Amino acid sequence: MHGKALRTLSISTVVAMATALALVFFYAPLEAEQGFLQKIFYVHVPLAIVALCGFVLGGLLAIQHLRTRDPRWDYRSYVVIHMSLIFAVGTLITGSIWAKGSWGHWWVWSEPTLVSFLIVFLLYATYQPLRFAIEDPERQSRYASVFAITAGAFVPMNFIAVRLSTAYLHPRVLGSTSNLPAPMALTFLVSLVAMALLFATMCKFELAAKHTRAQVRALRRRLAGEADARRGARSAAPSLQHVTAMAARVQRGAPPTSHTPGSR
Amino acid sequence: MIAELPALPLHTAGKYVAGAYIVLFALVLIYVAIMGIRLSRMERDLGELLELAAPSPDGEGHAREPGAGAHERDAAASSPEGEPESTLA
Repeated sequence: MHGKALRTLSISTVVAMATALALVFFYAPLEAEQGFLQKIFYVHVPLAIVALCGFVLGGLLAIQHLRTRDPRWDYRSYVVIHMSLIFAVGTLITGSIWAKGSWGHWWVWSEPTLVSFLIVFLLYATYQPLRFAIEDPERQSRYASVFAITAGAFVPMNFIAVRLSTAYLHPRVLGSTSNLPAPMALTFLVSLVAMALLFATMCKFELAAKHTRAQVRALRRRLAGEADARRGARSAAPSLQHVTAMAARVQRGAPPTSHTPGSR
Repeated sequence: MIAELPALPLHTAGKYVAGAYIVLFALVLIYVAIMGIRLSRMERDLGELLELAAPSPDGEGHAREPGAGAHERDAAASSPEGEPESTLA
């Protein structure tokens, strides 16, 4: 199911990453003001863009979940947000390193771009605890989707608000990319594609791993008559047994709700 | 107010750039390590399932107790005769 796409994606990611690194260090010229330090731009900015796009994508997938009630969309939304959070951690760390080299400080609280990204990160950091706090899988997926949509709408609003801000030190990347010299713009675009491919590959791996694990669990139950492998284990991740059962109901055309006790 | 500092010399900027790229590398490496742990866990589970699915010596289907294979494995590992067979072989 995932094998062929995973192989293609993985190879594309490795090739794109290698190309991006080669361009960054052997092709892109040194920037006049920051010199060699500006090379961080090619890792920090793609990480940030992919993380923010991932948050928005998580919201779009959650909309699809609420529209169709198919739990597979919730599962995709969960994985995409999970990966975006990891990329956001990378953005914050690389940004701090760049800030230290460029401004002499690890963090500048008066800089709206930095603080707004931190707010978005902290907002999404509550996503997993929210899921973990709800035991009933159906309610968990529904509430998580509402959260993902609300937070996903907050991301572009936050972005616009920051751009309207006048006092800033952080460079405006998307407004100034057209001013980049051609070699720098090309390197940046290749880095962005490589980062997006890395994101897609990691999401696909995560989905494949969880899917396979669910199949192994189902096989174990069938062979050993195990009551329920997940009994007593609460998780922030959507229950794949629930996902599989609900998906089967959706495919049969039956209503996907299971009316489990406690679901509202 | 913080102003932009002049460009750092290569030997100073180099460690920041290296740090940023190492962060990315570390993130991917940690993810691969986590996936590796998950894969080994899944491999172990599959091994146990193969033991469950294997026909029992008395000729009945999968009548073996769950976990019985693990006990046999432990016994084989502790015996001087030799290695337990790979469950995925």
